[in-house]
Amino acid sequence: MKAFLKKEWMEWSRTGRLLILLLVFALFGIMNPALAKFTPWLMETMSDSLSDTGLVVTKTTVDAMDSWIQFYKNIPMALTVFVLICSGGFTLEYEKGTLIPVVTKGLPRRKIVASKALFLFGFWTVFYFLCAGITYGYNAYFWDNRVAENLIFAMACTWLFGVWVIALLVFFSVAAKNSPQVLLGTGGAATGVYLLGMFPKLAPVLPAKLMEGLPLLQGGTGREDYYASMAAAGGLSILCMVLAMVCFDWKRL
Amino acid sequence: MEMLVLSHVEKHFGEKQVLKDVTFSVPEHSVFGFAGQNGAGKTTAMKMVLGLLPAGGGEIFVNGMQVRYGNTPTNRFVGYLPDVPEFYSYMTPAEYLCFCGEIAGMPAKEIKNRCEELLCLVGLEKEHHRIKGFSRGMKQRLGVAQALFSRPKLIICDEPTSALDPAGRKELLDVLVSSKEQATVLFSTHILSDVERICDEIAVLHEGKIVLQGALEEVRKERKAAATELETERAEDAGKLLSAFPFLKAQGRGRLLLEETERLPEILHFLADADMPMLRIERREATLEDLYMEVVGK
Ligand SMILES: Nc1ncnc2c1ncn2[C@@H]1O[C@H](COP(=O)(O)OP(=O)(O)O)[C@@H](O)[C@H]1O
Ligand SMILES: [Mg+2]
Repeated sequence: MKAFLKKEWMEWSRTGRLLILLLVFALFGIMNPALAKFTPWLMETMSDSLSDTGLVVTKTTVDAMDSWIQFYKNIPMALTVFVLICSGGFTLEYEKGTLIPVVTKGLPRRKIVASKALFLFGFWTVFYFLCAGITYGYNAYFWDNRVAENLIFAMACTWLFGVWVIALLVFFSVAAKNSPQVLLGTGGAATGVYLLGMFPKLAPVLPAKLMEGLPLLQGGTGREDYYASMAAAGGLSILCMVLAMVCFDWKRL
Repeated sequence: MEMLVLSHVEKHFGEKQVLKDVTFSVPEHSVFGFAGQNGAGKTTAMKMVLGLLPAGGGEIFVNGMQVRYGNTPTNRFVGYLPDVPEFYSYMTPAEYLCFCGEIAGMPAKEIKNRCEELLCLVGLEKEHHRIKGFSRGMKQRLGVAQALFSRPKLIICDEPTSALDPAGRKELLDVLVSSKEQATVLFSTHILSDVERICDEIAVLHEGKIVLQGALEEVRKERKAAATELETERAEDAGKLLSAFPFLKAQGRGRLLLEETERLPEILHFLADADMPMLRIERREATLEDLYMEVVGK
């Protein structure tokens, strides 16, 4: 298993996947406070022309909360990029047949899934907290993060949502034959859960709720409202992983 | 002891039956040639031995253990060279071989020695570039190295010589023969001269069935053996001979083939009486190719 982990590391670093994701997440991290910072400035420069047309712009003030609002807008995008870039992690190997020498050398198939999943979860965690950390740092520098309540808890919720999506990604990577199928499956399942959220009764127990972190930050809701969806996300992730492990034993490589 | 046993193996792809009741066994420390035309089902049979395809019926045993589809423990004994080998393009050959050794659980020091040894053996010791730009022949060489790496008991090579240059082919066949002492080799091919050169045993697969099987020597003996070729100096003499002995077969300008070798003395008498100058009278052994053509019915 150590050998396969080492191989995964080479794959991540040498194919440029690591670098691209690093840049994307760092960029998103910087963009959140930057967008918040520049909004009033933009408004001001435009206010002259706007006042000509009769619109009066009141002076806007921004604080860390605006930056966190941007964070919540951007993190689904970052997660989508992550899934897009990692969608070929398994399927390219099926298409090329590179796993055949590996399994015919007697490496248990579950170790292959476990190694790949470990890298996906690991790098999601690293990059997510990198992005959040950068935003946090700038926020602390420009304004004050103390306006946001339950910050760590809210961050953990969003991270858990990502974990759930990646568990879906792993499952569909095992079940599908090529990366479009993986994307279709993962995207479809995630969208399906969002749509289910339209039923008011179901919404509180769906993983999708974990992405609604703003009320938490603003102190509008309590942590206990999120426990059910956290449990659901955790349970579904474990289920996906177990199914992936079992299915992979039967996979035609 | 038998290293590999296939008994009554069947395989369908949808409606199409690719293997029909395939039964053969490979004794330990032998080189076993698995011949057959393109599309005969050689690759399919080999993949089933490796648990890469589910069997449609029958049983397969490697080193006495039954093969299961999927995660089969028998793969520990096997080194496999796929028909179109593909490796991680971002590694160098040496890195790839080390990776193979680590997967097989070999100690680090042995991995390093074995790596150098095998890269020399397959002639890739000077390739420090990544596998990305390798030609198919180079990948095939690397494929051989990875198949042999962990000193498996059974080496399975799927058309190992198909992408190689003539020199490389000879080298590879030598490598396979030399691994016979420690291992058993099963290799598939459609090139019969390769089989003749190195195999102890042979099985011919045709339309999903084993049509010919056994030790190479015996297979040869069993079949109708020789024929005699006659070549006259003057082309018109061949015509005379043919009218005198209608059972001869014309083979082109001045050449005749005699299949009933026991009638050669009659012909020799005739030649002496007619004072006919001959270029050549030669006994021809049945080649594997003749046998092959005979069994596949062409
Ligand atoms: N995955 C598959 N699905 C359907 N048919 C297949 C598949 N793999 C092989 N076949 C068919 O099985 C036959 C045998 O193929 P193969 O074992 O590759 O032949 P060989 O290796 O002897 O050239 C071919 O006719 C091929 O079309
Ligand atoms: Mg083949």
